[in-house]
Amino acid sequence: MLRYTGKRLLQMVFVLLGVSFIIFCLMEITPGDPARQILGPDASEEAVLAMREELRLDDPFAVRYISYIAGVLHGDFGTSYTTKEPVIHELFARYPTTVLFAVLTVLIASLIGIPLGIISATKQYSWVDSLSTSFAMLGVSIPTFWLGLMLMLLFAVKLEWLPATGFYGPIYWILPAITVGLPASAGIIRMTRSSMLEVVRLDYIRTARAKGQTERKIIYGHALENAMIPVITVVGITFGQSLGGQIVTEQVFAVPGLGKLMVEAINSRNYPVVEGGVLLIAFAYCVINLLVDIIYAYLDPRIKSQYSSSVKKRMKKEAAVHEGES
Amino acid sequence: MEKILEIKDLGIRFKTDDGIVNAVNGVTLELKKGEVLGLVGETGAGKTTTALAIMRLIQIPPGEIYQGSILFEGREILDMSDKEMQQIRGDKISMIFQDPMTSLNPVRTVGEQIAEVIRLHQKVSAAEAMRKACEMLEMVGIPAERSGEYPHQFSGGMKQRVIIAIALACRPDLLIADEPTTALDVTIQAQVMDLMENLKKEFGTSMILITHDLGVVAEICDKVAIIYAGEILEYGTLEEIYNHTAHPYTQGLFDSVPDLDEDVRRLKPIDGLMPDPTDLPSGCKFAPRCARCTEQCRTMHPDMTVLNGNHGVRCFAALNREG
Repeated sequence: MLRYTGKRLLQMVFVLLGVSFIIFCLMEITPGDPARQILGPDASEEAVLAMREELRLDDPFAVRYISYIAGVLHGDFGTSYTTKEPVIHELFARYPTTVLFAVLTVLIASLIGIPLGIISATKQYSWVDSLSTSFAMLGVSIPTFWLGLMLMLLFAVKLEWLPATGFYGPIYWILPAITVGLPASAGIIRMTRSSMLEVVRLDYIRTARAKGQTERKIIYGHALENAMIPVITVVGITFGQSLGGQIVTEQVFAVPGLGKLMVEAINSRNYPVVEGGVLLIAFAYCVINLLVDIIYAYLDPRIKSQYSSSVKKRMKKEAAVHEGES
Repeated sequence: MEKILEIKDLGIRFKTDDGIVNAVNGVTLELKKGEVLGLVGETGAGKTTTALAIMRLIQIPPGEIYQGSILFEGREILDMSDKEMQQIRGDKISMIFQDPMTSLNPVRTVGEQIAEVIRLHQKVSAAEAMRKACEMLEMVGIPAERSGEYPHQFSGGMKQRVIIAIALACRPDLLIADEPTTALDVTIQAQVMDLMENLKKEFGTSMILITHDLGVVAEICDKVAIIYAGEILEYGTLEEIYNHTAHPYTQGLFDSVPDLDEDVRRLKPIDGLMPDPTDLPSGCKFAPRCARCTEQCRTMHPDMTVLNGNHGVRCFAALNREG
């Protein structure tokens, strides 16, 4: 297990290297001059050239990329063109908000999605099932910005129960988290339902019934523990995506998260912030993926034995020995 | 001897998109304490459905038990509450399933899975249940140290023995074994059959052995029932069925087993296929495949005729009518 984790962490370095290269190329071919963006349309040609010189924008691509990577390896992600602050400060000023937002989103999505999915599967074709599948259908079809605006209209403007914008405390978190969490729960409902439906038809569920086990323990024990893997995958993807910042929702609710920062940085051709931000998002995604894979191993011993290949070989040998004895 | 199980005129059908599947059409069976009954038939004859009905494990819907009764120790199983049924399953009646590869929960250790049934029916602590589970493992020939391992770490034969251990853990009065050896290779088959014979001898467990293997039947059964298209065509003691075969279908089954003493170049199958359960023939269900079929067979449904004592046959043109 430890060896597997180590291997995955090593792979992560290469993934991040690839990501940084791709984003560097993309920024290279994006039209627009950062120097011009910083100085404004009225600046003289000389001033722009001087700025380009200062930002070292005229160096060859390879030189800039290598010096950037060298900087990153030393923990230096460059300086923001607009604020002149180190990129790392800019990112970490915004990141806690995004992480909090992501955690809330995933919590809401799972707390709605998993129970509804289970009920939907155990009472297939009942009115609860029709209701939750229609809800799931609606959830995947509704655009978030519209849902956000509607919720805002209802709860902030009409009822005046909740604040419309900002992100200063728990009461501000509710609307944005529901706006993202509700559609995300739709995917979790659908996955939980189909996964449970598949598992409850399997032979070992019948074996559990044949033992005289109660229906409740069969569903929440035997069936659920086997149906969780695809559900965890969807939850992991939702979490990973949320950690990249909610670009639309952050705009709608004026949440000062990573998504908003990235949009601003891209618009002003603020290369170092874009590059640092993408690297951070990619890193978070990799970590979530790794965590999901580790959770798999704890849910399913078959996957665990695949991870620890050396252990697997030993066990195969043992099994062969036992087979020989019997 | 006391009757442990009495099935009378059991009828089960399934409503599917392709129509109504008549899986079991009036099966009547009885089993005395300590007896082993072989339920023999082709794939799709209704053997497993009958067995699942005894355990009340038929999914309703799409299934429906539309007629008949199942008495277990004199009590009607079909009228029991879910709770009563849960107390009987795994304790008084247990079942060994056909496919060992998929019948164990892949994410629980085999020890836990055996201990589960013990905990459900006996008032013992978790540790005591696990100790008993280990004993059961030893009994079926698996070292107790392996109780902490998961099903994927076992071979097919060992998984089947774990399933047998689960079924036997509470010393059931009635054991239903649904093709316990079909998925296993021959050497393991012999081990499993030995294990079952021991059960019969040591504990006097009553058993229903579902199989299509007449050799297995001859080895351990006292009585045999031949099932075809959801109907019992012939029943009797082992001796009556094997030596005084009355039904042409039973004869066909015996003929299709290759004889070791003869130089057989081709197997002798029974021509044709089992009738479509959504559209069964109106007369004798075996008529379309029967060499002795007459006009009467095609139009009229034969009743069960008792030849002598315990030997019954459902045929107008039964062989060895004198018994």
